[in-house]
Amino acid sequence: MGIHETLTLRLGSLRREWKKRWLWQRRRILCLAAGGAAMALLGMPPLPVGPPPPAFASGTGDTGQSAAEVCLGCHGSAGMTLSFPSGETVSLLVDPQKFASSVHGKSLNCTDCHTGAQEIPHPQLKVKSRREYTLAQYESCKRCHFANYTKTLDSVHFDLVSKGDRRAPICMDCHGAHDIQRSGEHRARISQTCARCHGEIYASYIRSVHGKAILNGGNTDVPVCTDCHQSHSIEDPRTASFRLRIPDLCASCHSDKVRMKKYGISTNVLDTYLEDFHGMTIALYRKQGFTQKALQAVCTDCHGIHDIQPTTGPGSLAMKANLVKVCQRCHGNVSENFPAAWLSHYEPSPKKFPLVYYVKLMYRIFIPFVIGGLILHIILHVWRMATNR
Amino acid sequence: MEKVETMLTEKETEKPQVPEFVVRFSVLQRLEHFVAMFLFLVLAVTGLPQKFYQASWAQWTIIFLGGIDWVRIIHRASGILFALLAVMHLGTILVGVLAGRIKPILIPTLKDFRDAIQQLRYYVGLSDEHPQFDRYDYKQKFEYWGLAFGGMVMITTGFILYLPNLATMYLTGELVPAAKVAHSNEGLLAFLVVIIWHMYGTHLNPDVFPMDTSIFTGKISRERMLHEHPLELLRSSASGSHPMDGGKGRSLEPQLAASAPARLQSANTPDQSREISSE
Repeated sequence: MGIHETLTLRLGSLRREWKKRWLWQRRRILCLAAGGAAMALLGMPPLPVGPPPPAFASGTGDTGQSAAEVCLGCHGSAGMTLSFPSGETVSLLVDPQKFASSVHGKSLNCTDCHTGAQEIPHPQLKVKSRREYTLAQYESCKRCHFANYTKTLDSVHFDLVSKGDRRAPICMDCHGAHDIQRSGEHRARISQTCARCHGEIYASYIRSVHGKAILNGGNTDVPVCTDCHQSHSIEDPRTASFRLRIPDLCASCHSDKVRMKKYGISTNVLDTYLEDFHGMTIALYRKQGFTQKALQAVCTDCHGIHDIQPTTGPGSLAMKANLVKVCQRCHGNVSENFPAAWLSHYEPSPKKFPLVYYVKLMYRIFIPFVIGGLILHIILHVWRMATNR
Repeated sequence: MEKVETMLTEKETEKPQVPEFVVRFSVLQRLEHFVAMFLFLVLAVTGLPQKFYQASWAQWTIIFLGGIDWVRIIHRASGILFALLAVMHLGTILVGVLAGRIKPILIPTLKDFRDAIQQLRYYVGLSDEHPQFDRYDYKQKFEYWGLAFGGMVMITTGFILYLPNLATMYLTGELVPAAKVAHSNEGLLAFLVVIIWHMYGTHLNPDVFPMDTSIFTGKISRERMLHEHPLELLRSSASGSHPMDGGKGRSLEPQLAASAPARLQSANTPDQSREISSE
């Protein structure tokens, strides 16, 4: 039996396999839906989901060779290259070990992605360069990963892709091709991936309190790029709508009592910010849905964006000294006294900002005293009127 | 009280054509109250939602008014107008007092404190005698000075918040958050006083229900004058001027300044009223 026939057979079995898998999935979905409805009606907790779908058979043709092995027969050894019209020459070697240990090693075959290479010898490629080939291939991911693919359509990267910018990243640029690993496994690696293009920002990030913690100590509490920027639906961070979300972004960790307790960081940073003029304006702009302008100070304006430094220690002094310059960006030529108008996330107390504290305290006593007295006066008047009658 | 009433009845018999109303507020005073009322309303509607901006009603109001930027513009514009009104008010009084045309009768006197105590004694049933009031009773004086001091606090702190650059030029920056606390609390206090005290006094009070219209029409009924400001009525009658002629449209203040005989000023003390009746 020739290779050609083996492949045809293999394709047939593949089609059957897919069909079987789909039918099974459909049955599973229907069962789950019916079961879920019944559970909901009976008010019972949902049962764990049924057995996992049958493993995708590592298809063996009549020759006893797996499909991947067929491909690796040629692509498993070094020396094979492909030249593009652009002049690029790429090696066609696929490391069998790497592919086997990748997330797809057990579930996908080469031709599941390389759909154009099902015939041997492979048809002539129509692309002119390596990048063009990658761009054409990237559509194949969406056949399985449709949700994430859809998210990328909203991203700033896809904006560039759709404008014809070939440098903008697509799936494989971040995830790799034959050696794809689970992205959550090595958190530090995520930022390193972004660094391949955004090197300057990465350099600033690794000097920050967050970057240092993850690189030196493998701390998993600190954010990596995707925690603030998202992984697939990456938005242009220079827009007003992104800016409006910054306080909430930071607060998603900094209001977390459990996480902040480890480092002795206060969790009322968001509340104290929202109590201030800027925080109030940002919160209302978000409510109003006005995204044209959001020129209010947010966390990053004082603390920095990627180069965030701890607020205690030597870096904090630089931050404090810098504060008046930060204020002057919007407030014109204000004096050195001006930054003290911001309470630096402190709750007023007799020690910190006593003037604010005592004014607050005075009104806390004065208002009930006056209003209480007036109400008493009214009640007495009404009472006298009633008894006079 | 009865003596004053008798005196006034005697006077009335001498003058057969007595109008039913007395002019209490001049056109300018009525206009001043109207503008102050309007600005107060606008300031409260645009100010309170800023204080409680996290509440849903406040956010609704802010969005309804076109967003926080518009709310701030309206609030600041009406704040400036309110400050102008206050300056005009103070200026008028200052010039009037210096020129001798106005007597500063709103300044609290010992009588006001005695009146307040007497009134409370009456309310709780310790006495059956109402205190007798002159042109402004202690409650009105309290409200006037509340507005005057509160207004000063609001205007000062308001301008600090409006122009923080200027305020921190020479003064500490801490002044700004302190001004914010004072402004928002003083504003709330003013709002509560108006909603509870002023609304009771001018609307819900059974004496005037449903509404005391004198600040809008300028007129007050002779009956209410007799009941609420007998000393003023008596003084005007005694001085020979016509508090009831209704036509002049001027307040009684100049007359008070010119003609108030000293014996009438404390007419509700027993020995003094004997003097009146002996006349």
